[in-house]
Amino acid sequence: MKDRDSKIQTIMTGYRRGFLSRREALRALGAVGLAVGAAPLLDFAALADEAGKQAGPGGIPLSRPDKPVTLPLHMDPIKSGLEPEKGPFHIFNYQDYIDQVSVIDTFSKKYGVEVVLTTFDSMDQAITRLASGTVEVDSTNITPDRLGQGVAGKLLQPLNHSYIPNLEKNIFTSLQNPFYDQGSQYSVPYNLYSTGIGWRTDKVKVDIGALENPWSIFWDEKSKDYTGYTGILDDARESLGMALQYRGQTDMNTEDAAQLDKALEDLKATIPISNPKINITEYQTLADGSSWIHQSWSGDMLGAIISYWPEGQDKSILKYWWPGKGKGTTQNDCWSILAKSKNPVLAHLWLNHICDAEVAYNNTTTYTGYQPAQKSFSADALIKAGILPEQLKNIILTEEDVGAGSLQYCALTPNGQKMWQDAYAKFNSGS
Amino acid sequence: MYPKWLWPVFAVPGVVWLILLFLVPFYAVIGVAFGGVDPIFLNPVPTWNPFNWDYEVLGKTLVGFLPGNQYWGIFLRTVVYVALALTGSLLLGYPVAYYISRHAKRTKMLLIALIVLPFWVSYMMRMLAWVNLFSPNGFVNKFLLWTQLVQTPPDWLGGNHASVVLGLIYGYIPYLILPLLAALDRIDRSVLEAARDLGASPASAFFHVTLPLSKPGILGASVIIALPMFGDYYTPTIVSGSPRTTMLGNQIDIFFHGGPQPSVGASLTMILSAFLAVLMAYYMITIAKAQKEVAA
Repeated sequence: MKDRDSKIQTIMTGYRRGFLSRREALRALGAVGLAVGAAPLLDFAALADEAGKQAGPGGIPLSRPDKPVTLPLHMDPIKSGLEPEKGPFHIFNYQDYIDQVSVIDTFSKKYGVEVVLTTFDSMDQAITRLASGTVEVDSTNITPDRLGQGVAGKLLQPLNHSYIPNLEKNIFTSLQNPFYDQGSQYSVPYNLYSTGIGWRTDKVKVDIGALENPWSIFWDEKSKDYTGYTGILDDARESLGMALQYRGQTDMNTEDAAQLDKALEDLKATIPISNPKINITEYQTLADGSSWIHQSWSGDMLGAIISYWPEGQDKSILKYWWPGKGKGTTQNDCWSILAKSKNPVLAHLWLNHICDAEVAYNNTTTYTGYQPAQKSFSADALIKAGILPEQLKNIILTEEDVGAGSLQYCALTPNGQKMWQDAYAKFNSGS
Repeated sequence: MYPKWLWPVFAVPGVVWLILLFLVPFYAVIGVAFGGVDPIFLNPVPTWNPFNWDYEVLGKTLVGFLPGNQYWGIFLRTVVYVALALTGSLLLGYPVAYYISRHAKRTKMLLIALIVLPFWVSYMMRMLAWVNLFSPNGFVNKFLLWTQLVQTPPDWLGGNHASVVLGLIYGYIPYLILPLLAALDRIDRSVLEAARDLGASPASAFFHVTLPLSKPGILGASVIIALPMFGDYYTPTIVSGSPRTTMLGNQIDIFFHGGPQPSVGASLTMILSAFLAVLMAYYMITIAKAQKEVAA
């Protein structure tokens, strides 16, 4: 009997942590001799996927902006005052998401080390390669929703902040102690962005930002004028999240089947109306005119202007709208240090380099277009410098935009991830 | 004169190659389809022992292919796209191969070189070139506007079924022409001469002699291009990008590319492979029959 109780406990723990679906848990309970009919007595309803109650990888609670999480320490940070290693120093990042000249080369020159950049296409791919050991790097770009995995899987090492004075000196105060990593024990912020709509005023006569519900542009019958020239981000969270926001939903991490079904139904409804293309190249397509209205990441608007805008084309035709704090999503990504780093001191100095105000400014304004989480970074300064067109002022987020009360796509339970992925696959199938 | 084992030894490198680069990876796909995921990273954890395989995901995925279910529409679309692209490739490619085989004399090597030329450029690059040609501001539209054949530039890449089919033809046709050319070259000309001597018109000789004798070549070339077309996902992505033109390969990509359901991606791969195996079996049976007829 004691053995059976232990098995039941294991199954329930698996269910609570999201490793087992309700059906799988019921079946497993049946297999250990507990009548399926008795399962409701276990009060599955009380185990609903509520943030802060539902555990993520390794039992670490899922963080939300209003439910901060302190990640557990599985090793000690390096000691203070150590000399940097000789390298070569390896970093791991998205493709085309860091400037070679103003960021990598300056670090290389400053510390006299060779810096080797390895790139990945998606965060899924990055985590897979790091976990399988197919890449051995010192520092990696990582999104907040993956930090729990990185810590639970002992991929990351805790930071010694004495090497990273720029974190306190330059970074938004709210992101010095972010909800996803209280105390910044494993990460420093890199770039910030919101999600909204980018459009060309030379092709679209409607002032999308002035509409009562700007998201409705993808569903409006009048949008048939733009058929073939609209776009939605090729991302399960962003696309379904847009449909949720269209209906006024603000829980961007819902695991409610009915809400996701409705979002899917809405998203599919865009196909016969605006026939959106699904991609994440709006920085290019809006610039070259192959799309006129595109769900967009704010950083890609400046990226379009910096790197893709055709010579002589009027920059004032590109506009951007996002719903604002508490109604629209904001995100940031981070840099962390690998537990197996062969150059941990250099890796700390790299994080400090990333948080340097001048380095961050140059990285944004000459290459990525994505704003850093720097206190000194302002839209007015960019406009004055002639880098940012006046009408795109709203792509730059302020500290208030990303603090408590903001909407963010956060880590889901495995079951929640399945639900979002299934819904997205159905949308993508176009049938 | 030679030991019996000598000739089989020649096949060893190819067999080893097949085992290492096809059978083992394919068994890994099967292991993933019937396996689980790592509880922390959600990476696939293949189940190697067939006695421990979990068939639930494959079963559910198979049900998804029934009419009206999740994969039915995209599967049907994929089959139609491939059928149209294959037909188009044959209609375009056969005359080219026929001309080179029968009528090109001094220019034969030059024409073959021109057909091989696209292989020098990667498939992806050729597709991107297609985008530059047919984009709203591309060369084709500029030409059409300049000639005033159209007043507003057509949106070739805005989710058109025709663009995807034409893209598939454009991408795969060189792979069809070369084996077809080899098959046509192998046809004994004396058979054609005999047909003409017996009073057959050129058209009749073609339809009653050349075409039937080139059937194995047509089937072989069709198989060579149809198999990769079925798994293609980058052509619709590049030349359309719209959900209404995605193919089954796009669904496999979604499930394999990340997330907690690699076993669904692996199951889709297995189902597609089984479907293609049926087509392959038809090809092999036809070839075997043709060889028997020739021998007779």
